Amino acid sequence: MTTLLVIKQTLLSIYSRYEVYITPLLKFLLALFTLLLINSRLGYMGSLNKMTLVLIVALMCSFMPMNFIVLVGAVFSILHLYAFSMECAAVIGAGFLLLFLLYLRFSPKDTLVVVLMPICFLMRIPYVIPISMGLVGGPASAVSVACGVIVYYMLRYVTQNETAIASMADEETAAKFKSIIDGLLKNKEMVVIIAAFATTVIVVYLLRRLSLDYAWTIAMIAGAVVNIMVLLVGDLIFDTKQSLLSMLLGTVISFLIVLVLQFFVFYVDYSRTENVQFEDDEYYYYVKAVPKVTVARTDKKVKQINSKRR
Amino acid sequence: MLNEERVVLMTKMASYEANEGRKNLDIGSYFRNDYIGWQVLKSIISATIAFVVVFAMYIFYDFEIFMTDIYKMDLMEFAKNVLFWYLATVGIYAVIAYAVYTVRYSRAKKSLRTYYMNLHRLSAMYRDKNN
Repeated sequence: MTTLLVIKQTLLSIYSRYEVYITPLLKFLLALFTLLLINSRLGYMGSLNKMTLVLIVALMCSFMPMNFIVLVGAVFSILHLYAFSMECAAVIGAGFLLLFLLYLRFSPKDTLVVVLMPICFLMRIPYVIPISMGLVGGPASAVSVACGVIVYYMLRYVTQNETAIASMADEETAAKFKSIIDGLLKNKEMVVIIAAFATTVIVVYLLRRLSLDYAWTIAMIAGAVVNIMVLLVGDLIFDTKQSLLSMLLGTVISFLIVLVLQFFVFYVDYSRTENVQFEDDEYYYYVKAVPKVTVARTDKKVKQINSKRR
Repeated sequence: MLNEERVVLMTKMASYEANEGRKNLDIGSYFRNDYIGWQVLKSIISATIAFVVVFAMYIFYDFEIFMTDIYKMDLMEFAKNVLFWYLATVGIYAVIAYAVYTVRYSRAKKSLRTYYMNLHRLSAMYRDKNN
């Protein structure tokens, strides 16, 4: 454990020393990964698939605010969809517009979730996001998580029904329009997942704020369990046909990832908890102080013991 | 001579100004009602655009049926309905925006108060040094 703590301390000190370089690099990598993923999944517009363009845009993202990545991702998706079918681009563009207008202007901090959610879905570990947002965010993060789920399912609908949409003749604009909207709105799986993730965020948030020992771990476990429960109940009611095995496996892997997050953000030693009481003129204070676990980094000092030769 | 306390205070304040403080200083430059009113106005505009988008989708969804029905239906009644939904959407959204921005304004003011207090402390330190 001490080795891990030393590694953590070293990582943190490296990050704080080279923050100026590391943050843009991470943004660049995230933007690159997002754009490549969009291109590989949607890639209908040839000119957007060029690596040089992707690299230039990703470089631009590296020194722009984080929200720019979301904007670029949305623009890339809409352009690809436009090349595929105008109606798709219109419907999904309207979806993005509503997200930006109605929600994302309120909470610019959570915008990243909208990008990370689809990525985690494709990596089959979507459960990471609601649990970690419950840990580091607030109850309003439930809405951001829901937005991320909506974005993923909008784009997935297109890739899954590619042939069906493409086979409709161009004259049937109205029918195409209707089928796309139907496909998006009547997606029961999406509703179940939104319900499960929103509940998870709120449960995790409420539990981790309790003044209990191991509140974070309890919150994480409870969140994972609640998530599976709601998904299973949703499966029973709406018959969404989700595979139980992949759900369990995804939850376990997500749990391990969140454990790593907890190690970095909230690693405390409950055995040294102190409960203290004091008062001032206006209040009585019942304070519970839990020390963070840290190790002093061993600073190597070179001590010269032989005198310098003249 | 370097005054350690002063350097610590200045570093803290500079970091505040560079990060969350920038937004708070921006908010703090408005009067309360001006800030909230301006944000609510922006929200109303966004809600209006959002309503237009949703309404357009609604019309396009059953475009053919709508076009055949348009001659038969009571247009006044339809317009009244649309107006009702528009006002309801914008109204609810504006109330939410009002609540969110009121909280944000008071939080920003509170945090700025600490910042200004530190500013006073800093200038007091300089005065003490000069005297």
